[in-house]
Amino acid sequence: MKLDPNKSPAPQEPEPTTGSAPAPVWLFVLVALLAFWGMGFLDSHGGGFDARVYAPYNSAKEVEDEWPKSGAGAAFARGELVYREVARCILCHQPTGLGSPGQQYPPLAKSEWVLAREPGRVIRIVLNGLQGPITVTGQQFNSNGMVPWRDTLTDQQIADVLTYIRSEWGNNAPEVKPEQVKAIRDKTAGRPGQWLADELLKVLETE
Amino acid sequence: MNHGPLIFLGVFFALALSWFGLVFESQLQLGNAQPTTNLVNAAQLYPQMRPGQARQGLDVYRSLGCAACHSQQIGQTGRTYDVALTDAGTNRSAVVDTLLKVKPEATAIEAQRLLEKPSATILKDVTRAAADAAVAKFEPTGAKVEVRVIPTGPDIARGWGKRRSVAEDFLFDQPVMLGSQRIGPDLADVGSRPALTAEWHLLHLYNPQIVVSKSVMPPYRFLFEKRKIGREPSPDALKLAGKFAPEQGCEIVPTDEARQLVAYLLSLRADTAIFETPMTVARANVSTNAPAATNAPAAQTTNSVAK
Ligand code: HEC
Ligand code: HEC
Repeated sequence: MKLDPNKSPAPQEPEPTTGSAPAPVWLFVLVALLAFWGMGFLDSHGGGFDARVYAPYNSAKEVEDEWPKSGAGAAFARGELVYREVARCILCHQPTGLGSPGQQYPPLAKSEWVLAREPGRVIRIVLNGLQGPITVTGQQFNSNGMVPWRDTLTDQQIADVLTYIRSEWGNNAPEVKPEQVKAIRDKTAGRPGQWLADELLKVLETE
Repeated sequence: MNHGPLIFLGVFFALALSWFGLVFESQLQLGNAQPTTNLVNAAQLYPQMRPGQARQGLDVYRSLGCAACHSQQIGQTGRTYDVALTDAGTNRSAVVDTLLKVKPEATAIEAQRLLEKPSATILKDVTRAAADAAVAKFEPTGAKVEVRVIPTGPDIARGWGKRRSVAEDFLFDQPVMLGSQRIGPDLADVGSRPALTAEWHLLHLYNPQIVVSKSVMPPYRFLFEKRKIGREPSPDALKLAGKFAPEQGCEIVPTDEARQLVAYLLSLRADTAIFETPMTVARANVSTNAPAATNAPAAQTTNSVAK
């Protein structure tokens, strides 16, 4: 095909330009609704952005409620934590509760001090510590060893750890209540230094 | 391009927003995660760093592409509750009466028998409210009753794990081998399957069909060395029989890589109870005479959920 050089060029359309048109209102409404629903979803399923909350739980509170709270089983579990982690009784009295006789650490398992029906003496031992000669399960121990816990452990913690050592390792003595610890803490408030076993034997178990 | 800056800003904010949501927010949430207290065996922090050989095994696992067929993330969709009688106490007749009240379908003889069993499950698969109500009924009798929390979900029903996977489980892994496809079973908790011993894993890697006859998992024979038996057969040689056995006078021994991989597989466990994953783990009978096995993750004691 030959081009005709004389033909005038076809009229050119102007270059298109972008203009603007208002976005439809329903689009804004839709986006707003979606955002609202999304936030609602996050709020109810996000666990408050707490790193410890996973499905099927919705809040840290819900997770916590699944763990022991009150009652003997719970005190036992909390006491185990005190025994192992918080006060670290475990370092001396061992995971087995058998102590370490070579280092003069007496056993708690089957110990008559621990198993006494009324916890008066054992609470005193933990509050103020213990030193000097003592007979536990028929064996002689003598050390200046056990430190006082009066200032480091709360009434609740002492009650929990005693509940623990009184029912672990085959021990079977009643639970210790924080009120009992508080009563003895107040009664022995002015007492300086650690107990001697002989001194304790003069205290009634129930006092 | 009349609106260059506007388009730029639009793209910028879209990307920035997803970066904030996916990277920044997760970093804020989990960036400072530290090992937490193992609620069952509180003397230990969880997780523990993988021992050296297992850590090397992670690299083998990664380089062989096991993650293409195996995920390491157990899902959990719900939980259910059991109620167990751990100690009947002394007031037996009252306990039997209460038992018959919370479990009307049981006969008196059945109830008597439940009392004899150590930590008998008295209610199964109930709601939390029902479990708590049952526990409250037992309170006056002096019996010790506990609520057990049992995670549920399809993965758990398949026996892949006891609870869901959480971020803590992966704290020391770099990279994390979450995986996205499940051609084979989930491996997040493979180390706690009692039947899968080191020996089993070695045979399975050498040729999966030795132990799972219809397995479609590829064999990884290059992780093993075939060599002539020297003066004596190697104690490490695989015990192969029948059509899988090498020719007379040869033996198959695992290479270091195979051992590392198996050490890694055995270290894969996600069964520790931590705060995030409420569950009740059976309390192992702790004998007062045996020293507690403190570094075996399986040696678990209690975390009964009681009210
Ligand atoms: C530093 C090591 C050490 C720690 C930690 C320790 N104890 Fe002791 N405990 C001893 C020693 C030593 C004795 C014996 C003291 C003596 O010879 O008079 C003892 C004695 C006892 C006794 C009385 C004797 C017996 O065996 O029944 C009890 C009860 C007791 N400890 C409980 C606890 C509790 C509870 C904790 C944790 C809060 C704890 N101990 C932490 C070293 C320790
Ligand atoms: C092609 C996909 C595929 C690849 C790649 C693969 N597997 Fe598998 N794997 C499977 C299948 C399918 C099964 C189930 C059958 C069986 O037990 O052999 C399985 C089973 C397993 C099991 C047993 C799990 C159980 O609970 O019984 C282990 C362990 C395992 N694989 C480890 C590995 C390792 C390690 C690698 C990398 C070296 C790997 N797999 C690579 C598909 C695969």
